[in-house]
Amino acid sequence: MYPFGKGLSRHLPLLLLMLPLSLYLVFGIGPSLATVFFSFTNATGLPGVEWQFIGLDNYEKFFFSSDSSDRIDAAGRTVYFALAVVIIQNAVALFMAVIINRKLRGDVFYRATFFLPVVLGVTVTGLVWQMVMNPLGGPAQAVLNWFGTSSNFFGSYDVAFEMIIFVQIWMYMGYSLVIFLAGLQSIPKDMYEAGYIDGTNRWQSFRHITFPMIAPAMTVNLLLSIIGSLQTFDIIYVLTGGKFFTRTLALDVFGTAFNGTTADYGLSSATAMVQFVFVFVVTIIAVFYLRRREVEM
Amino acid sequence: MKRYTLLMLSLILVIILAACGGNNVNTASEPKPATTNAKDNTPAAEATEDPITLKVIHWQNEGTNKFYEAFNKKFTERYPHITVDYTTVPSDATYDQLQQTRINANDTDLLAIKSGFASVPQDWSPGAQDPLWKQWIDAGLIADLSNEGFVDNYNPVDVENSTTYNGKVYGINLGKVSFTGLFYNKTIFEENGLAVPTTWDEFTKVVGDLKAKNIEPLAFAGKDVWPINLAVQGLQASIHDDQLAYIKGLWDGSTKWTDPVAIEVLDKAQWMMENAITGFMGVDYGSLPGLFASGKVAMIADGSWDAPAIASANPDLKFGYFPIPGSNNAADNKDLAGKYDMSWMVLEKAKNKDAALKWLAMHSETEHYTEFTNTSGFLPTQDNIPVDSEFIKELAPNLQNFKLAWDQLFINRQNVGEYAGGSSVHAEFLAPAGPLATPLELAEKSQTDWDAAK
Repeated sequence: MYPFGKGLSRHLPLLLLMLPLSLYLVFGIGPSLATVFFSFTNATGLPGVEWQFIGLDNYEKFFFSSDSSDRIDAAGRTVYFALAVVIIQNAVALFMAVIINRKLRGDVFYRATFFLPVVLGVTVTGLVWQMVMNPLGGPAQAVLNWFGTSSNFFGSYDVAFEMIIFVQIWMYMGYSLVIFLAGLQSIPKDMYEAGYIDGTNRWQSFRHITFPMIAPAMTVNLLLSIIGSLQTFDIIYVLTGGKFFTRTLALDVFGTAFNGTTADYGLSSATAMVQFVFVFVVTIIAVFYLRRREVEM
Repeated sequence: MKRYTLLMLSLILVIILAACGGNNVNTASEPKPATTNAKDNTPAAEATEDPITLKVIHWQNEGTNKFYEAFNKKFTERYPHITVDYTTVPSDATYDQLQQTRINANDTDLLAIKSGFASVPQDWSPGAQDPLWKQWIDAGLIADLSNEGFVDNYNPVDVENSTTYNGKVYGINLGKVSFTGLFYNKTIFEENGLAVPTTWDEFTKVVGDLKAKNIEPLAFAGKDVWPINLAVQGLQASIHDDQLAYIKGLWDGSTKWTDPVAIEVLDKAQWMMENAITGFMGVDYGSLPGLFASGKVAMIADGSWDAPAIASANPDLKFGYFPIPGSNNAADNKDLAGKYDMSWMVLEKAKNKDAALKWLAMHSETEHYTEFTNTSGFLPTQDNIPVDSEFIKELAPNLQNFKLAWDQLFINRQNVGEYAGGSSVHAEFLAPAGPLATPLELAEKSQTDWDAAK
């Protein structure tokens, strides 16, 4: 039986959905379509300045112009960033979730502590880590000095990008942890008891009971971290501004549109489209694989 | 019922679209009596005392920000119906973004740019990218100030050289700055019997003497990268016989990034970085004045505009500024180089253009301009301005033949790679700051990027 009654009431849910749907169309889909459109133009964003359709010129510029290698490097860095973040963040989060799930004393405190960085926000996180890793008198430098070495941290061409990956993982690990924890807590205790009777050890219990049973949580976490890491902009902007070989595709989109010397909205939009296709393809492959894995398990 | 649903859907969409387009409708057609628009652009607006909010955007700089906060109060005292919405953001890409978005949205009346008009493509630089300020003017977005009386307050040569384009004045430049020198701690120099170096050999000896006494000789704000290039430009100003000729030569192929003169610049830049404080690549620009004021380093590479910030960080600190002596001929090192610094522009279609012009006119009055130059540490572009800053007075001998620095002369090719990009030579890629071991490696990479962008 239809639960919303008859007459106007019957259509009320549809009508109520119209408002958010319209807002999404105007403020979500609309700008996205505009980006597709602008990627085929030489628009600068300046009012009163004529722009033309230039076909695939921006895409050609992205892949084949004299500075394309910088953009290709940025794309490679984006992949490296995503791989590192997805693998390490989820591995650490799962490990911590399994530990916290064992009814430790003070588990609520641990859970809240691990989730705290998510709440802090990017700017605060950036400031905190810049202070910790201040090469002139910061605590991290003091530790390195004990071992007779030193680092420029976020000002180093050698380690700045890895430091950003570390901060990104620190920032969002709590988020993944909470999702894993929810998945772990939904596993019936009976299964472990049955496994115990059958003589499973801890590793076998994790491998054959826990891991398959948290497949949905794993899917959610992997997808969120894949999409999030491929699009990461804010923490890189705060920590290095894209300097020291830390520029990714998302930074490139911003830098091309707003760099103080040029305002190439066309190329910026084309870069955004390349990034979108990249994220889309990776996500589709991931969804396909993860869903199949869930069914198998 | 289908009709009803469609009607509701249409209504919702109309409401949303109306809300989105609301701004445009208002600004384009409704003569809002209280605050905005065409009224203020006409002489008739003089008669009205309608409240106006004048929007001004600027970047963060402690000394000048304080001046403008005080000045804006005085402005409102003189024009009680005008309040000033003075917005400041960090001077990095944040300001670039603010500038562009506000111009695109016509959402400011006045804006500051970080220099005079530099890097206009020339006959010898075919295909070079137009700088943004030129694009704005060409698009008719910037007001022509040529006929404004307050322009006459400024030195006509400086007006011509700083903010004149195609024979018209599009901005008010507030002063010149030098950035090819080093701040030095006078007390440290005196206590160690050191004199200000006038040649490269003297400079290396000073650095060596300081290091021998366990005093950190030098610091750069390496984390922001561009401050390193201030020092590089100091070397370029003193090592190159004619920077402009060298730059023109890059375009026609008669000079190379790998020429001995360019390698010498990189070589000496690398030496300076090798002798800088450990961890200088992690020092951000905002921390540099404090680091110097604390007495932890004897010299820092910075622009003369930061003198007020240093004095503010430690009012008791005795410090001076000398040109980086890149050459062993003292005469080549004598003159400081720099640029025309901050310039104010009024948007042609500003909602409060008349108020913006009043603001600039009052700013240009001798009393306020004098206060500004003494606060900012700029070298005045108005004549006969009494300079009370001892720091600026001391610079006078080095400013008699003030010349433009590399980044004011250099015009880059479009789509050039990162080793030759922007407006500077990228010494930050050199060890110990960066991954390249030798100046020649960097020079060759720069030349490759430059050639590829032909």
